Amino acid sequence: MLGQTMTEALLDLNNVTVRRGMKTVLSNLNLQVSSGQVILFNGTNGEGKSTIIETAAGLIPLESGSVMHHGKLLIDDAGRSNKPSRPFGLTLQADGCMGSQRIEEHLLTSMDFTGFRIEMDSILERYNLKHRKHDCIAQLSGGQRRKVAMIAGLLPGFISSDPLLIFLDEPDSGLDQASRTSLIEDIQYLRQKGHAMLIASHNNEFEQCATHQFNAEGMTETPRESTPEIVREHAPHQPSKTMIALRNGIVCNNRTMATLAFNGIAGFLTLGILLALVEPTKLDSGTIQRSGLILSSAFAAGLVGDSMVQMLHEHRSLAWWKAHRQGIPSSYFHGAVLGFALTLLTQLAMDMSVSWEVTIIGSFLTTSTMFIVRMFDLTSSRLARPRAAFTRILTPILILPFALLVQWITDSNLI
Amino acid sequence: MDYRFQPHLNAMIQRETTVGRNMSKRGAEGFLLLGFLGIGLTLGLALLKAPSVSINAFQSPDAQRIFYWHVPAAWAAFIAFGFLFVGSAMWFFKRSKLGWRMHVAGAEAGLATGLMTVWSGMVWGAAEWGVPWDWTDVRLNTFGLLTFLALFLVLGRQSQPDGVETRDTFSTFGLYGFVLVPVTYVATRLWQIRHPGPVVGGGDGGSLAGEMAVILFIGAISFTIFIIGHILMSMRITSLEQRLERIQKTMDKV
Repeated sequence: MLGQTMTEALLDLNNVTVRRGMKTVLSNLNLQVSSGQVILFNGTNGEGKSTIIETAAGLIPLESGSVMHHGKLLIDDAGRSNKPSRPFGLTLQADGCMGSQRIEEHLLTSMDFTGFRIEMDSILERYNLKHRKHDCIAQLSGGQRRKVAMIAGLLPGFISSDPLLIFLDEPDSGLDQASRTSLIEDIQYLRQKGHAMLIASHNNEFEQCATHQFNAEGMTETPRESTPEIVREHAPHQPSKTMIALRNGIVCNNRTMATLAFNGIAGFLTLGILLALVEPTKLDSGTIQRSGLILSSAFAAGLVGDSMVQMLHEHRSLAWWKAHRQGIPSSYFHGAVLGFALTLLTQLAMDMSVSWEVTIIGSFLTTSTMFIVRMFDLTSSRLARPRAAFTRILTPILILPFALLVQWITDSNLI
Repeated sequence: MDYRFQPHLNAMIQRETTVGRNMSKRGAEGFLLLGFLGIGLTLGLALLKAPSVSINAFQSPDAQRIFYWHVPAAWAAFIAFGFLFVGSAMWFFKRSKLGWRMHVAGAEAGLATGLMTVWSGMVWGAAEWGVPWDWTDVRLNTFGLLTFLALFLVLGRQSQPDGVETRDTFSTFGLYGFVLVPVTYVATRLWQIRHPGPVVGGGDGGSLAGEMAVILFIGAISFTIFIIGHILMSMRITSLEQRLERIQKTMDKV
């Protein structure tokens, strides 16, 4: 047993074994972390530092053992996975932020997970990012993006007066000296507030703020002198906004118009091709061909899948959202609007009277098709090369329900 | 690099190459050869000996002879998909290496026999129904999807480095996909649109004349032997691939 048993453990890794690729990275690891402890993982490359952080955040399936947060089960080897009883801060090695989000949006999201918001300007100013607050993350340099990812990991600790867990994987990577100094001061402040932190880094400067060091030789306690109390003043807490994932999905889609660009173009192209090949007035009303023609563009738009999944693959943002277990942004709202518009447009282009029932069915068809394709994409997201997994081969599964829906619409005389 | 003068490396490679030497037995080839012979015999009997069917019962009576290929191929496909399911479950729940080899072999054999079934069915359908495919027929579509699933698993595995993440993900798809097997089986009982009902165990409407049943039985046995050979061969190839990978990793360490 490498850790030490303490009362009121905020984090408990119990007999954890993890495999990545064909290699067993962690073997029967036991680690308990309690309030006010800062564990620095400073082992050599390939020792499993990032794996411990991601396992503690509940991101990696376990071969054996369990992970508990605040005494409640987070994940175990039987595949059980629960929402964490309290929020936590997380900075992934690959940043975990979408390029299409603005800095303030990403940081507000991190705060919303805790249920409260604070004024972030003073924190951004300390890291020389205040002037970039409204910029998209894609416009930042690698070092600036790293700062945003690191601040997003620290923010829950600034907000909460109760002890929380904070996981920081290489938080100093690409940071300038001034930012590293600020980071160490922030970690000391959060430790004094009673938060527990896991930090993976090769940087010796973190020894100043770590209470323990953990590497292949085991856990050692770092002797430390008492540090003066750090006082920070933040503006009063404001309640956070709800429906975090849905709101982020809508905002990102509004900004990038990704659903229109990906799904919309497929729908419009299908409509254009069908109108070029088929003379709608020659199709008798009440035939399956006519019903199918009306819904084809909405169906084609849904088959493209959720454009948000593509955005979430950027900098492992999907993993960051998954870890917090408070939903994953989607394009369902825009999909529904697009399906409605395409079905309506098809009916108008075919010079027929508009059926609002069928138009709403078209909206539902695009959204539900998008949902199923998104499920395929998310299921394969754990693969080493998720985009090379050919999940689109499985989309013919949707043709049968589409055909049955068209048959039902025809039989029901909705058109 | 010349490894001849590195005894420790030679020892490691020797150890790896001797592991699983029993897999190099040639049972798979025997099954495959016997299966091919049986399938050839079935085809010969179907074309030359099987009785003609009534022109009143079929639009295209000659095309009905595809039946002796189509049904046994579908039977073999179900065996392969069953193998795929058992292998997926063994890997997913027990992390069994044998289970993963069964998953790979089941997917490859399912793809081969699934394509045989779908292709022969389309030819027969085009002759009998006038259309090769009906998107509203549940049996056709669920079976087609099983074949697509096998294609996805075969291509997907080739696109990914081997590891627990890859195996977990494809096993999940294998387990979910197996839901289609009972749906496919009962499809013609619940929603008979174009595809006819079962010829064996299907009640009054599903009985066959004696000679037809004998040829169909020979076909089923032949395809079963063929699919066993295919699965054994696939499992051996997967085992050899894994051994090659271990040897390469051993050599990487030098």
